[in-house]
Amino acid sequence: MDFISAENVRFSYEEGTKNVLNGVNIKIKRGEFVALLGHNGCGKSTMAKMFNAMLTPSFGKVFVDGMDTSVEDDVYNIRRKVGLVLQNPDNQLVASIIEEDVAFGPENLGLTPEEIRRRVDEALKAVDMYDYRTHAPHKLSGGQKQRVAIAGILAMQPDCIVFDEPTAMLDPRGREEVLSTIKTLRDRGITIVLITHYMDEAVMADRVIVMDSGNVLTEGTPVEVFSQVNLLKKHGLDVPQATELAYKLLGAGVKFDKMPLDESECVSMLREVLA
Amino acid sequence: MIRDITLGQFIPGKGVIHRMDARVKILLLIAFISLIFCAFNFASLGLVTAAVVAVILLSGISPKMYFKSLRMIIIIILITSVLNIFYGTGTPIFEWGFIKITLSGIFRAIFVTVRIVCLILVSSCLTFTTSPTDLTDALERLMKPLKIFRVKVHEIAMMMTIALRFVPTLLEETDKIMSAQKARGADMESGGLIKKVKALTPVLIPLFVSAFRRAYELAVAMECRCYRGGDGRTRMKVLHMKRIDWICIVFTALLLAGVILCNIFLPTVF
Repeated sequence: MDFISAENVRFSYEEGTKNVLNGVNIKIKRGEFVALLGHNGCGKSTMAKMFNAMLTPSFGKVFVDGMDTSVEDDVYNIRRKVGLVLQNPDNQLVASIIEEDVAFGPENLGLTPEEIRRRVDEALKAVDMYDYRTHAPHKLSGGQKQRVAIAGILAMQPDCIVFDEPTAMLDPRGREEVLSTIKTLRDRGITIVLITHYMDEAVMADRVIVMDSGNVLTEGTPVEVFSQVNLLKKHGLDVPQATELAYKLLGAGVKFDKMPLDESECVSMLREVLA
Repeated sequence: MIRDITLGQFIPGKGVIHRMDARVKILLLIAFISLIFCAFNFASLGLVTAAVVAVILLSGISPKMYFKSLRMIIIIILITSVLNIFYGTGTPIFEWGFIKITLSGIFRAIFVTVRIVCLILVSSCLTFTTSPTDLTDALERLMKPLKIFRVKVHEIAMMMTIALRFVPTLLEETDKIMSAQKARGADMESGGLIKKVKALTPVLIPLFVSAFRRAYELAVAMECRCYRGGDGRTRMKVLHMKRIDWICIVFTALLLAGVILCNIFLPTVF
């Protein structure tokens, strides 16, 4: 059974206004790493808030682990299972000491002090911020703050973490830090939904879902999705640079068996062609 | 320059006062403040002052920090003590026109000065040795009995925690907005006081807008982390009363007894 399933979800922020989501169907399996792509205003952030019952559909249903997000009594249990990491790391940290901030989630779950301590230490080690546990958040870099925010969600031991453009406000180094943290979480078996508009981030995923003006445009493995260069370009979306180069070479008559997604793949394919 | 302002600055350390339970520290601070104002003669005032000096030495924080906190209110101390000199009654020891200075006036001034200085020193000792979170946590626990009067104790403590957390963030933001407005030609340095205050409008409006946006996002983030108010919430750090706390309580009680005895058996100054 699917861990998260959105069925024909429609949504508008105010009644009578244009729908932000027009009947979206998304299914996410347990342990999967899904990237949700699209440019600004396509409804991907709205969709993120659907996954942990921060928003409920105007029409249609969202199920998380079999629970309906529109049932008030299940909301708390849904948020225990699906954590959400937001864009601005500054506005997600509650306490003025790192470890106390990470403890905020588990404290809300009403765990024993010993259990909270154990989870906080474990979560901080998982994001490699354990040495900073007694620091103040405003002294950290953006990437470090975002990793602390991830630790805060991780300490609640959710089955799934939804990342809503976690790297949009970070410098390249912070981005690298956060992405490698996300990779280690995937390896721990946590279901990951990464919402982004960076194509090279989406390449990391098992499956890519592309959204455009409130609909799912296309979905599939990164290779399947990014091979449709024409479709993506038509909707104003980019493809990874390596794919774009191959696409242009293809147009110039060079033969490729499949589209490369990153630099190293592209280099080896070009080598083959030139040999 | 705006970043130099620090609120309730905590200086980490491992001294005796640092290790005390924050609840005990708050209660003892209240006890000290009342003692400072209950000292009516030189003996009891000397006793309290000695205790304050002992606390400062025990805190293990450099006297420089204490001087810094005194320097901020030096003008208030000077004005009140000078004013008090003229308020004395009895035979004047110095007279010049309508200005009369009496011995009791001078005593008054000394008392007021010592009291204010002691007050500032013990209060700074609390903020220097207690982390903001410990402080709000302790306040929440101490105010718990007020719940029967429907005081929203948890909410107040949470507000204080968040306010303390966002002070540096908002200060940084103010700096940024000021630079941004200056880059657009805003003039904030020249002119009189009124003009300078008016020049702050283009800084305050963006600051407020951004603060509200932050508040909204923080609320979303808190809800995402299963926040449902104080009910059913546990804490990672549990405050414990240790031996050191009991020792300090006993010493304060002895001090209280000493001050009361001095007040009873020795004449009051005024």
